[in-house]
Amino acid sequence: MRLRIDGVKVEDVRQGQKTRIEGKVLYVDTGDLEKALLSDKRIASVRVDIVRPGSSVRIVNVIDVLQPRCKVEPEGTDFPGWLTKLGVAGNGRTISLEGVIVTVCNRFSHRSYSAVLDMFGWGADLSKYGKMPNVVIDPAPAEHVSEREFELAARTAGLRAAVYLGAAGSGRRRTGTEIFDLKPSPGKKGKLPRVGYCYMLYTPQHDYQGVPDPIFYGGQATEILPTVVQPSEILDGALVNQLTVRGMETYSIQNHAVIRELYKRHGRDLIFAGMIVYSATMEPQRRQRNAMLAASLARNVLDADGMILTKCYGGMPHVDEALVAEACENMGIKTTMFVHLVHSGSSLAESALASSPKLDAIVNVGQVLERIVLPKAEKILGGDRGTSVYNPDIKQTAGSAALDIEEFLLAGLHDHLGSSRVAAVDY
Amino acid sequence: MGKEIRVVHYVNQFFGQQGGEDMAGMAFTVKEGPVGPGIALERILGPRGKVVGTVICGDNYFAENVDKAAEDGAALAAEFKPDVFIAGPAFEAGRYGIACGAISKSVARRCGIPVVTGMAEENPGVELYKRDIYIVRTQRSALKVAENLRVMAELAIKMLSRGEGTRLVAREAIGRPSEDGYFPRGVVKNEYTEKTAAVRGVEMLLAKLAGRPFETELPLPADPGLKPAPPISKPLSRCEIALVSDGGLVPKENPHGMRGRGNLVWAAYELDTFLPDDFASGDYYVAHTGYYPVYVLEDPHRMVPADTMRELEREGVIGKLHPLFYSTSGNGTVRNRCWEMGTEIAKQLQEKGVDGAILTST
Repeated sequence: MRLRIDGVKVEDVRQGQKTRIEGKVLYVDTGDLEKALLSDKRIASVRVDIVRPGSSVRIVNVIDVLQPRCKVEPEGTDFPGWLTKLGVAGNGRTISLEGVIVTVCNRFSHRSYSAVLDMFGWGADLSKYGKMPNVVIDPAPAEHVSEREFELAARTAGLRAAVYLGAAGSGRRRTGTEIFDLKPSPGKKGKLPRVGYCYMLYTPQHDYQGVPDPIFYGGQATEILPTVVQPSEILDGALVNQLTVRGMETYSIQNHAVIRELYKRHGRDLIFAGMIVYSATMEPQRRQRNAMLAASLARNVLDADGMILTKCYGGMPHVDEALVAEACENMGIKTTMFVHLVHSGSSLAESALASSPKLDAIVNVGQVLERIVLPKAEKILGGDRGTSVYNPDIKQTAGSAALDIEEFLLAGLHDHLGSSRVAAVDY
Repeated sequence: MGKEIRVVHYVNQFFGQQGGEDMAGMAFTVKEGPVGPGIALERILGPRGKVVGTVICGDNYFAENVDKAAEDGAALAAEFKPDVFIAGPAFEAGRYGIACGAISKSVARRCGIPVVTGMAEENPGVELYKRDIYIVRTQRSALKVAENLRVMAELAIKMLSRGEGTRLVAREAIGRPSEDGYFPRGVVKNEYTEKTAAVRGVEMLLAKLAGRPFETELPLPADPGLKPAPPISKPLSRCEIALVSDGGLVPKENPHGMRGRGNLVWAAYELDTFLPDDFASGDYYVAHTGYYPVYVLEDPHRMVPADTMRELEREGVIGKLHPLFYSTSGNGTVRNRCWEMGTEIAKQLQEKGVDGAILTST
């Protein structure tokens, strides 16, 4: 499959009469965008704000961050299963606006926490999103729409906004092109090692109200067995964020750092042998079966010499991931697995949730519960000054003089998919 | 740094020039300015700061009531309005080391200022206080006291410039333990890396595949070598069986303050009153943020199967259901504490003559 992503650089976003790109400015007709989002009857009204880095704005109740993108070939195949009818993603040509994001808020959520995004000060320094101009989508539910149904509507509004804005890049001069091209079961090339990727899509442990979040081609991934997919599918709309931000928001998936790195080195340092997706599970037997099947696919379908593994937020998925890695190693496949730490008060060795001597190559993407204290914001979007912001020890609100949060709540700091430049070290 | 740093220094009777072991029982005394090693400390600070006061106490006096002495000593130090507190170094002197650790911890809590002490690895104060405060590594004797004080002073000054660090995500200016000469504090901090995690991971795997050296970023501990307990030797129908769970199920008021994450406590509840057959689902709370508790709150027996156990008791399959339910929350709890809690619970079960336990988790 061959996917071409044409980047169109944007340096500023402004309100405009007609949604378009002129030079490096994206003009947004916010009224027209609102109208597009209101085509979903589950949404009664929507507020659209344009915010720039450096302005003293804090966005709360953040449930997703996206890159504006639009399919031009084949046209009308954006986010299949969500916005368009089902079809395999990851082929053809996509326009991507570089340097601008869409942020989706849900101020009507009763979940115990949602993410924060600061456009100023330290919070913006820490986050890849705080440095980009931002179109903020803040919808309100129509009558009789349940909380869970509205979550899906808000998510869909974010996808729709991303495509609507991405379309403004169509026909504009591209500033960069990336090609993601893999032949079916890419063969041998000299002595290059064959490297595959094993992607844990989902963990059911945090299912809100006991109901899984749909994420994959419009559906849930809880029951998925280890499955081979094309890596370009993941980059091009097959997969979206869960309904909370936990280091794997849609922007990070669209720009999946491990997948991109493997494509980049394909044919040069390695052969990108393909990828497997699966989900963590709370049932021991399923966990064993996942490990067995994933390792078997890696060995017998991808014919991989090495596998990279990533995981979802949480401690339990650490075990699922380690079992897959161990099963791979037992089949003679070398592994590197990515983990984040969920301990603040212990050393690295005490934080590990596996003890197999075979798992000797681990990348740690940081300790996500480290605390940071963010300065006071002049303006709050996605909620108001009184919106509560999660802290395990104290009650605090978005308007607090000092907002004390755990790092995983700041969107765009930690990334389980490898884009961050952070590692936890013993001190 | 514009302002002159005000340093308060703690020393024992010997370094405070009050006398030797014969004076070890002396109570606190306070001197303006530096005393003994404090003079070297002030020289090291140079124009950056001054030792404004010295708190002195006898080692035996301190050791007799460590908690009270630490509080009293901290109160005396606080009167000087210090920016920084330095204790010792105590080298390998055990009583002195514990005094330095205790008073430093107390000053840090009371004044919120950087505190630094110094000890040799053999000093029992290291194990007791390294998690609470920065302890600079010294040799066993006072031979290189000026060198030790220099490392201690530089570390404290670094800590003052909190918010100016560029390597740590949290912006602390502190260096790694090996760089700044202190004992690892048993915590991890996030550092910025030059390369993204994706690049690090792919390069690590390529090195591993090619047989080149590579370094894991998370060294795994050795397998603790746990062996499964032997089966119960007497017939089950004569056994008393207990229920133990780390799922965080507690009464609605959470009387023991169990935490949803990083919990450090456990509690025992009378099953008859805590979880009767005619329970009311509104009476419970799940102190565990690692899973969504809707199904457990609907019917806590899904976590703690007292109903089934009572049935087995009536049928005579088991001899008796132990009347207490042992509850804790295992979510992001440090392993050492898990180990301790498990040992504490097991000991109680053993003392009460329980023959077996069923552990349910999430």
